[in-house]
Amino acid sequence: MRAEPNDGDLVALTLRGNPEAFATLVERYERAVYHLAYRTMHDVEEARDATQEAFFKAFRSLRTFKPGAKFSTWIFAIAYHTCCDRLSRRKHYSGDELPERADSAPGPEQRVIALDEASRLRAAIDALPEKYRAVVTLFHLQGRQYEEIATVLGLPMGTVKTHLFRAKEQLRRLLGEMEVTES
Amino acid sequence: MNVDHGYGMDALERAILELPLEEPPEGLRASILLATAYRPAPPFSFVDFAVLGSLGAVALWLIVMLVLGGGTLFVHTLTAIGAVLARTFSNGAVLAWMAAGGATALWLTLFTGFQPATAYSHRSHRSAGR
Repeated sequence: MRAEPNDGDLVALTLRGNPEAFATLVERYERAVYHLAYRTMHDVEEARDATQEAFFKAFRSLRTFKPGAKFSTWIFAIAYHTCCDRLSRRKHYSGDELPERADSAPGPEQRVIALDEASRLRAAIDALPEKYRAVVTLFHLQGRQYEEIATVLGLPMGTVKTHLFRAKEQLRRLLGEMEVTES
Repeated sequence: MNVDHGYGMDALERAILELPLEEPPEGLRASILLATAYRPAPPFSFVDFAVLGSLGAVALWLIVMLVLGGGTLFVHTLTAIGAVLARTFSNGAVLAWMAAGGATALWLTLFTGFQPATAYSHRSHRSAGR
C-alpha cells in the first residue's frame, strides 16, 4: 500500500505541473479554511469568496512556500489575512464599525439561550472580541500548536497564550451565565 | 462533546477541539479548482494577440501607404526603412547592447522559471469538467 503524499510533496508536484496534486491540497484544507473564513466573516457568501480567494492567492504564490514549513499554517495565514482585508474594506465602505452579523437577529449573547451544548459553545465563541475569537478558532483548527497559531496571526507566542487564556476565561463566564439563564 | 458543569479549563479545551467544522457550501471545491489548477485556457494567448496585432498594424500601414501615394510612396518608405535597419545593424555598439539585453533576459528567465498559472493554462480542457 502506498503512503499518502505529504503536503510538501504535493506542493512540489504542483510546481512541477501536476494539477491533481493541488486538487488534493484543496480537498485536505477546503473545509478548515472555509471554517476559519466563516468564523471570521460570519457570512456564508463572504466566507465562500474569501476561501476561494485564499486558495487562488496560495496557488499564485506557491513558489514562495518554504520547503519544510507547514502548509496548514501557510494557507491559514493567507486565509486569515484575506478575511481581515475583506473586513477592513467592508468597514471602510460602511463608514463605521460593522455589527457582528449583517442580519437583524438578536446579538450573540442573546442567541446562546436554549441551544444544545455545541451550539452554545459556538455562540459563546461568537460573542468573544475579535482578537480572542481568532485565537480560539485557530486553536480549534490547529490544537495546542501555539507557535503555528502565532505565525498565522503574526503575534508573539506569549500574546497568543495570553489571548487564549483570557478567551477561555470569558467563555467559561459566558457559558456559566447561559446555564444560569436556562435554569 | 461534553463540557462539565463547572466549565473546567481542560473540559472547555476538549469541547472546543471537538466542535464540528463548518460545512462548506456546495460547489466550493469545484469553483476553487476552476480558478486555479484546472483553470480553462483562454481562447487567445498573449502571443496570439501580439501576432494578430502586429499583422493588423502592418496591413493598416500598407493600406495607408497605398491610398496616400500609390506604389511610389510605398517603395520609397520601404527603401528608407531598409537603409535605417542596415545602418543600425552594421553598428558594433548597437549589436553589443542587444547581445547584453538578450543575455540579461535569458538569465532572468532561468532565474525566475515558469509560473504555475502559465504552466497550467494549456492543459485544463481535459480536466475542467471535474
